[in-house]
Amino acid sequence: MAMAALRREGRRFTPLISPNPIAAVRSSIMPAEEQVPLGVRSISTQIVRNRMKSVKSIQKITKAMKMVAASKLRAIQSKAENSRGLWQPFTALLGDTPSVEVKKDALHKLTAGPDKETKYVILGEKAKAQLIRDSKKDIVLNITELQKNPLNYSQVSVIADDILKNVEFDALRVVFNKFQSVVAYLPTVSTVLSPEVVEKECEAGGKLGDLDSYEVEGGETKSEILQNLAEFQFSCVMFNAVLENACSEQGARMSAMDSSSRNAGEMLDRLTLSYNRTRQASITTELIEIISGASALEG
Amino acid sequence: MASNAAVPFWRAAGMTYITYSNICASMVRNCLKEPYKTEAISREKVHFSVSKWADGKPERPTVRTDQPE
Repeated sequence: MAMAALRREGRRFTPLISPNPIAAVRSSIMPAEEQVPLGVRSISTQIVRNRMKSVKSIQKITKAMKMVAASKLRAIQSKAENSRGLWQPFTALLGDTPSVEVKKDALHKLTAGPDKETKYVILGEKAKAQLIRDSKKDIVLNITELQKNPLNYSQVSVIADDILKNVEFDALRVVFNKFQSVVAYLPTVSTVLSPEVVEKECEAGGKLGDLDSYEVEGGETKSEILQNLAEFQFSCVMFNAVLENACSEQGARMSAMDSSSRNAGEMLDRLTLSYNRTRQASITTELIEIISGASALEG
Repeated sequence: MASNAAVPFWRAAGMTYITYSNICASMVRNCLKEPYKTEAISREKVHFSVSKWADGKPERPTVRTDQPE
């Protein structure tokens, strides 16, 4: 019964096959046994196999990159978390007051929203690529190649020193990604006021009115101390910002590489499925041909 | 009060507090004994390149580094 069905199938296929021009041409050259068109007997699995190979190697690469990011993240995360202790006392003393009105802003890293008179100092390439589009007139400094050595305070403080010497400001706002977890980081603005502004605010009795209750010891005046403090605060805030940002970057890279290697895995599964299916189909077709041929000889 | 009015010597030399404290820090690092000394000194490597911008165009970057190329 099954044989009969197969035979009928085979017969039904013959007229479909013969009009094929390639088969017709081939049939005139080739011997009689190979009159089957190319596509039916041997479906080419070459392309799928190549694709699978490349997806597999991409997956290997992304996995390796994920590992690298994870190990870098671990090193830098502890550093970043330790460095938070550097700016917290400053926030307790001087406060982080983004609401204080100032005229000249200097911003670091990327930021949005036009301010009164904003100048940008950019660390790294990413923010540069963005800011160069709409506000390249306002860029003052651009610092790159930070991460050649592992990040350390000396380097960041030298950078902070450069910025302080080159940029006039009433307030420095450091914009960076604060590391929360591997997949979450908050865009953060830290404000460092210039000593003059701090003093003015202090006298006006605004948000920094408490500062008057501190006693100044030693032979320095209050404004001198405030200037030293502001400079040191800026370098500390910068140090923390740079670390947090590097940490966020590694975290983002790690999660991106993780999802891309998972994606490659899924893709590989799909490709394997279709590869096996095609192979199976060609085997089945061959079997059908052989059996139907044999039974045609019998009958 | 006369000494109060005078600027600290390092500020008179054109340094900021950061530079001053960095110099002090490297002094302290140099006072350490081995093997802590090399470890601490490895933490004061500086390498970056700065380029100033004028009229929306970057000028030639200057590399600041303390290591031989």
